[in-house]
Amino acid sequence: MKKDVNSNRYIFLYATILIVIVAVLLTVTAFWLQPFQDRNKKNEKRISILTAAGIPNVDAKNAPLLFEKHCTGSFLLDESGNISEDGTLPLFVIDRQISVIPMQGNGLWGPIWGYLAIAADGKTILGANFDHKSETPGLGGEITTEKFKGQFSGKQILENGNLVPIQFDAITGATKTSNGVKEMIDNTLEKYAPFLEKINSNDEIK
Amino acid sequence: MANLKKLIIEPLRKTNPVTVLVLGICSCLAVTAQLKPALVMGLSVTVVTALSNFIISLLRKGIPNRIRIIVQLVVVATLVILIDQFLKAFAYDVSKQLSVYVGLIITNCIIMGRLEAFALSHGPGESFLDGLGNGLGYSLILVIVAFFRELFGSGTLLGYQVIPQSFYEAGYQNNGLMILPPMALIVVGVIIWIQRTRNPEMQENNQN
Repeated sequence: MKKDVNSNRYIFLYATILIVIVAVLLTVTAFWLQPFQDRNKKNEKRISILTAAGIPNVDAKNAPLLFEKHCTGSFLLDESGNISEDGTLPLFVIDRQISVIPMQGNGLWGPIWGYLAIAADGKTILGANFDHKSETPGLGGEITTEKFKGQFSGKQILENGNLVPIQFDAITGATKTSNGVKEMIDNTLEKYAPFLEKINSNDEIK
Repeated sequence: MANLKKLIIEPLRKTNPVTVLVLGICSCLAVTAQLKPALVMGLSVTVVTALSNFIISLLRKGIPNRIRIIVQLVVVATLVILIDQFLKAFAYDVSKQLSVYVGLIITNCIIMGRLEAFALSHGPGESFLDGLGNGLGYSLILVIVAFFRELFGSGTLLGYQVIPQSFYEAGYQNNGLMILPPMALIVVGVIIWIQRTRNPEMQENNQN
């Protein structure tokens, strides 16, 4: 039988078979690689948390071990700052003292996020870590550098038990991203304020 | 044999996809701020051009002419998604730096250009080499551009500090402009300039 390469029947058949082969191939690969990808994402989060809390030399290899060693608990907080099963605010406790809270916000081109480590007194920032999806390299992208992150250490966020807006040196040429970082920190701290005030007056974390 | 060798060597020089055919410029601007993502991007594009050329060449007699661009796109897209998944699994930090540009390999003109111009009319072996050559030609330019941009923009190569601290103490500063995309265009322009100066037969004759 001589096949007609340009008949409708042949074209439909060809396209269908091609798509089925491709679909199977992609599904199999996706399933096979899923565990590796999940592990990478988890590790990235661990590295961020540990780095924010000031633990040095964390990389993808030692992250699971160090996290196991240093992270003494992870909780969910409700709006009034109590640990509760159905809270919405995640909290990681490092070495029984440091609270690490996740932040999410918007930069100029896309989402930015990070972690803020707060000392046991509930009012001193120990460290911060930022990451971004698509800020401009050399401008907004600078929020991931040590120079930018370093300036947050030692800042006070509570004054007489009340939240004070964060102040830091913005990046020249990256006003929108810098504003985004400020907004992100202020919004996050506002949500966590009841909890921070609580540990500030108690001087302890569970 | 000499002919096969030519398939790989020529795209590195006289038919270079970036500097002579001026294809794939966008990704060249985007991923060359540092050497490492440039290397991975070059490697990814090389794998995609070589394999898609090979596959399309194998299928070339059975592909219905009316849907041939669609078939090409499906093959290229599949390969790109596979590479993206592999990078996410085994080279996570690089895949984060490359972000959307891996996915955008699909739209890289070099690939479709080679499929249409070469793979549809040549055998699988030759097509594979042609894809390999063009991918390598692209990578070569990417690596040269990334080398200069990372060296002068960040003072590092592959993340290692190469410009000594004493330079900075003496007042040397990294050139922030090198990190921004326009500098990639200028570096590519300089490469084209040097290439054409050395090969006068490549210069267009403006008198005509």
